Amino acid sequence: MSDYIRRLPVYLLLDCSGSMSGEPIEAVKQGIKALLTELKGDPQALETAYLSVITFNSTARQVSPLTELMLFKEPELTAGGATALGGALCVLADCIKNEVRTSTATQKGDWKPLVFLLTDGAPTDNLEDGLEAIKNVSTGNIIACAAGANANTNTLRKITNNVLMMNNLTAGDLAAFFAWVSGSIKASSKSIDAKPGEAVQLPPPPQGFVIVP
Amino acid sequence: MNSGQIMTAQLENGGTIDFVLDANAPRGGMKHTFFTPDKKYAVQFFNNPQDGQNPNIQDRIRTIVGIYNPTLSEQDGGALGNTEKTAEYFRSRFCWPVAIVQSPEFGIVCPTYPQRFFFGDNASTHGLNLKGKDKKSNWFTGRMRKYISSGELGDFRTMLSAAICLSRSIRRMHQAGLAHSDLSCNNVLIDPQTGSTVVIDIDSLVVPGKYPPEVCGTRGYIAPEVLTTMELDPRDPRRCLPCVSTDLHALPVLIYEYLFLRHPLAGPKIYSPDSAEEDDFLAMGPKATFIEDPNDTSNRPQDLKITIQSLSKGLEKLFLRAFVDGLHNPSERPTAMEWERELLKAWDRLRRCENPHCEKKWFILRDEREPVCPYCKTRVTDKIITLTLKSAMRGKQGVYRDCGEVVVYDQMPLYDWHVYSNVHNDEKAGNDMRAYICKHNGMWLLVNHGIEGMTSPTGRLVPKGQAVELKDGAVFRMTDRENGLLCEVSAI
Repeated sequence: MSDYIRRLPVYLLLDCSGSMSGEPIEAVKQGIKALLTELKGDPQALETAYLSVITFNSTARQVSPLTELMLFKEPELTAGGATALGGALCVLADCIKNEVRTSTATQKGDWKPLVFLLTDGAPTDNLEDGLEAIKNVSTGNIIACAAGANANTNTLRKITNNVLMMNNLTAGDLAAFFAWVSGSIKASSKSIDAKPGEAVQLPPPPQGFVIVP
Repeated sequence: MNSGQIMTAQLENGGTIDFVLDANAPRGGMKHTFFTPDKKYAVQFFNNPQDGQNPNIQDRIRTIVGIYNPTLSEQDGGALGNTEKTAEYFRSRFCWPVAIVQSPEFGIVCPTYPQRFFFGDNASTHGLNLKGKDKKSNWFTGRMRKYISSGELGDFRTMLSAAICLSRSIRRMHQAGLAHSDLSCNNVLIDPQTGSTVVIDIDSLVVPGKYPPEVCGTRGYIAPEVLTTMELDPRDPRRCLPCVSTDLHALPVLIYEYLFLRHPLAGPKIYSPDSAEEDDFLAMGPKATFIEDPNDTSNRPQDLKITIQSLSKGLEKLFLRAFVDGLHNPSERPTAMEWERELLKAWDRLRRCENPHCEKKWFILRDEREPVCPYCKTRVTDKIITLTLKSAMRGKQGVYRDCGEVVVYDQMPLYDWHVYSNVHNDEKAGNDMRAYICKHNGMWLLVNHGIEGMTSPTGRLVPKGQAVELKDGAVFRMTDRENGLLCEVSAI
């Protein structure tokens, strides 16, 4: 029967550049742990959500392939290097092409992926390549979070209309971000009382976060 | 918000209630929830404060708390004709709002649900930390069941009991004209160990004559006609809104899930090659097809072994009415009362499987001539003893009509509804055991435990503590008192 279960692919794109070292990267690791714990308490999320992590510093790579939550292993994260955001989007596009099942006449396709992007700086590589790459894949929602004063919200606006800004790159704010991400995944995994083709409604962002208009 | 700070809410009934602020308060689609310091009550406010100020919503909720409240006796301001006994019965089966908060803003107070609907220690064998989490039914009926400790899972009998409990609660709501409007695995919590359910999120009920709530339901439980017309303007006459007949789709979906551990519409059929969203919309909406539809097998899984034919014939018929005749034709759907009645009849045909390793432990004996457990295929070797209960026809001396059949098992308890024709197995009946079945030295006995006036097949009084032997063809009175039932035994 499990063949008929649609998966909700969730991609976390995490900035692991040098500026994230120290407290922020530790908070991100804690955030992923908390995210997993939270989602594992929700039967619908556990049944439908599949998680992948893509990190980027001087280059981008997928550190955790799309995996069901019960089998997901937290990736080793270290901070250092530049901010290859364009590269991260290219990796994302490749992963979606390879991992997300499309609907065909003989196959039940997955739900549109949810993408959460967290960055604290501006891209140091060619963003255009990345933008071009993700144009060709279908995603449900991309939510970009600009963390701290140095993040460039204008750049993020080129990727998606959903841009959040957290003013400080503190452990508390990062924890709140991941709590919100888990809330969003839970909402998406059940609220698919959504009309066909429409992006799902996400819960309001955590306190202290600003939606960039 | 200062998590941990205690606030005092002013209630419309003049009282107050304290609750603890929490920045991570659980948040549903409409409301968020705080708890009283002793955690006995939940204090809920609307996510969108405008909803709380909406006079239509306030008006509807006031009637739900008051004159439509089945958990409060009529004397205490609850539903008409409700006694304290029935109110008590439904208090543990509904999480019904009990008071309205006036300030700091409009909100409602609900009792927290009984402890058995929260997971305790060691609920998962796979390291899931479930302690304190709600027992949403899809933990037990979905794929995640494999991660739950076997001690939590109950067996076929307790799941049937849960289905009875739910159908009774919904029947009670519908009897008052109320519709839940969002019955789902999230809003009906289930305890498979005790075979009980509790219906929560009562504030978005559809109340006769009141402005309807703005919910459309949850994926998998929304009635196909509601999903199909969801895009239309709410004032469009073609738009279908949640009502009693849409509950009558969600109810059998839940019952089916409890009994089969799968969804009745989730099959292999591809409805659209274009997108998952379109495919799902068609599968749950305009093109929905029952996986066990006898005429259209396009959505039938290949490995379907246990089917509605593994249940009683009565239940099989009801499922066909709900998911074939009534799937796209709401007026054909069986009522909650029919579900309750048919599930109870099935309950009386339960039989313990003789295979000690049978995973389901119990099954419904569909046919005495083919007595095989449908789950493990173990054949019944023991005698099958059926009691046919008959009641005297009023004004016709010596004429009786059948009013029930019970397939007995060792240590089976019998209650008032097995003794008197005017007592039914429902919220009004008492649950004191009146007699029990016992297999003793190869003899099957019906032991009187508290019935006045039980008589043996030869007409002698059977006092408490003594028994009637259940031999094929034996006929005796459960009691010679008024409304006493006659019992006819068949043993094959």
